[in-house]
Amino acid sequence: MLPLSVVALFLAMAAGILWGTAEISWSERLAILMRSEDAPRGLSLIIWQWRVPRVLAVGMIGAGLTLAGVLMQTALRNPMADPYLMGLSSGASAAAVGAIIWFPASITTTLGLPLIAFLGAASAFLLTIGLSTRRGRSLDPLVVILAGVAVSLMFQALTAFFLYVGDPHATRNAMGWLMGTAAGTDWQELPLLFAVLLVSLALALFTTSKLDATLLGDERALSLGVHVGRMRVLVFLITVALTGVAVAVAGIVGFIGLILPHMGRLLVGARHRVLIPQAMVLGAVTLILVDLACRVVLAPEELPLGVLLALLAAPPFIYILRGMSRVR
Amino acid sequence: MSADPILEIRDLSIAVGGLPYVRNLSLSVGRGRFHGLLGPNGAGKTTVLRALYRALQPQAGEILLDGQPQQGFSPAAWSRRVGALVQGGGLLSGLTPADIVEIGLTMRAMTARDRGRATEDALQLVGLADKAEQDAESLSGGELQRCYFAQLLACDPEVYVLDEPTNHLDLHYQLRLLDEVKRRGRTAIVSFHDLVIAARYCDYVHLMCDGALVAEGEPAAVLTRDVLCRYYRVDGVLEGHSLRLEGPVLDDRSAPAPLMHVAE
Repeated sequence: MLPLSVVALFLAMAAGILWGTAEISWSERLAILMRSEDAPRGLSLIIWQWRVPRVLAVGMIGAGLTLAGVLMQTALRNPMADPYLMGLSSGASAAAVGAIIWFPASITTTLGLPLIAFLGAASAFLLTIGLSTRRGRSLDPLVVILAGVAVSLMFQALTAFFLYVGDPHATRNAMGWLMGTAAGTDWQELPLLFAVLLVSLALALFTTSKLDATLLGDERALSLGVHVGRMRVLVFLITVALTGVAVAVAGIVGFIGLILPHMGRLLVGARHRVLIPQAMVLGAVTLILVDLACRVVLAPEELPLGVLLALLAAPPFIYILRGMSRVR
Repeated sequence: MSADPILEIRDLSIAVGGLPYVRNLSLSVGRGRFHGLLGPNGAGKTTVLRALYRALQPQAGEILLDGQPQQGFSPAAWSRRVGALVQGGGLLSGLTPADIVEIGLTMRAMTARDRGRATEDALQLVGLADKAEQDAESLSGGELQRCYFAQLLACDPEVYVLDEPTNHLDLHYQLRLLDEVKRRGRTAIVSFHDLVIAARYCDYVHLMCDGALVAEGEPAAVLTRDVLCRYYRVDGVLEGHSLRLEGPVLDDRSAPAPLMHVAE
């Protein structure tokens, strides 16, 4: 199944790079991709400076948010856990919007904004877990989600407050980015995204047998020798880093981390050694195609990623919600 | 006290959420012996077992394995020697019974082929070979319990810690699986509610009430009419491997205060 998904990934990347609103003939597309001398400069710029980094970015964000979803669902044994529903994305975006509006541009550089978003996501995660924890009791999956929604609302209100009182020009910048868009992604943003994704993937693959054991419940994982607390801290750091860097590049991208892990489990089962790569590739393919649809559906206008994602995610979301009674 | 203890608990006290669940408990488990942990609901049996498989940190006291304190072992090293069948649920979506058994084995240094063979054998033992690749979410409560039992049997630790192992199991599998543990000659410490099953399998039982040890010894010596009346609030008598109830179930008010007595 994975080789097939990788082929689908390359096809989706090719589609994302070659299709768009600009009218470019097939011969020109080929010439541009081959870096031919007679490729038109303007069109070459569209492909190499706009579409290629954008496709790479959304692919990595899709893969990263899916990885974050897989890890959160396992560590919290909650089929509804994802960076969006747990409030991480809202925390990251509130911190980033605050920084865009209030801080000088020198601070919100390529490196600065992801770090600020990381801190925002971390605060939201800690708040969500803190609100849903009761002494001596294990986390109730539904209470965690309700706490996540509450934290998310709080950070959204904070974001709205920042936008309301902020300078109109800075506010406009923040608004466009807030709805989730990869438009304007440039090459400079990719190395950090790639590095965070690579380190997160390596750490996740290193702990697959412990993640598998955690699926069976904390007690069983502990009895099998897994240091569950330490593993949760690792998952916390990975998911917060992935969400922070994703939000810094493309704003809030919801539901990818919720739906795609379940699709991966349907295809290859829940063992993390195979699930993680499979789900990540699916996440990348999905977000690249959704981003492409956002560009071409209402061309020349562009739909925010969040709008189309929410539309597509509703039916599987309801399906997962109904299946929550099967957690045992 | 056992002559050749493999596992020793000394002055163990455990509080959960500020409430004392286990108080100054000491007991020892003999090598290759089958020990039962008995007591009414809320006696603290599961809490003691949770400390044995390191799900709880004791506030005081120590747990020794072959004379070595538990803290001296890494969680992985401890789990290789002390395995547990525990209560509680998981997120089983996308897992098969074969996956569940194999997950226990991946924590050990084994080749994939050996893991596969051990998984197959264990599922055969618990009667789930024909459901090895079925969705684990579709299993009944009893089948799931057999599946977790298979995981433990595949790991085959030196000490079996079994928390209510007969939960959800029909009589056939209750006997078949406990027979298998006994047949292997491993050490076992097992919490039971079913006193007949306890009397059948245990070489030695420890009776707990309100977090403290109140009696211990061979089953016939501990499970007297007086003990059943005081701690289980039933008027009955254990005869060999069967329990004969003689009077009505006693209500809380008629039950006297716990008896602080240890029978050897």
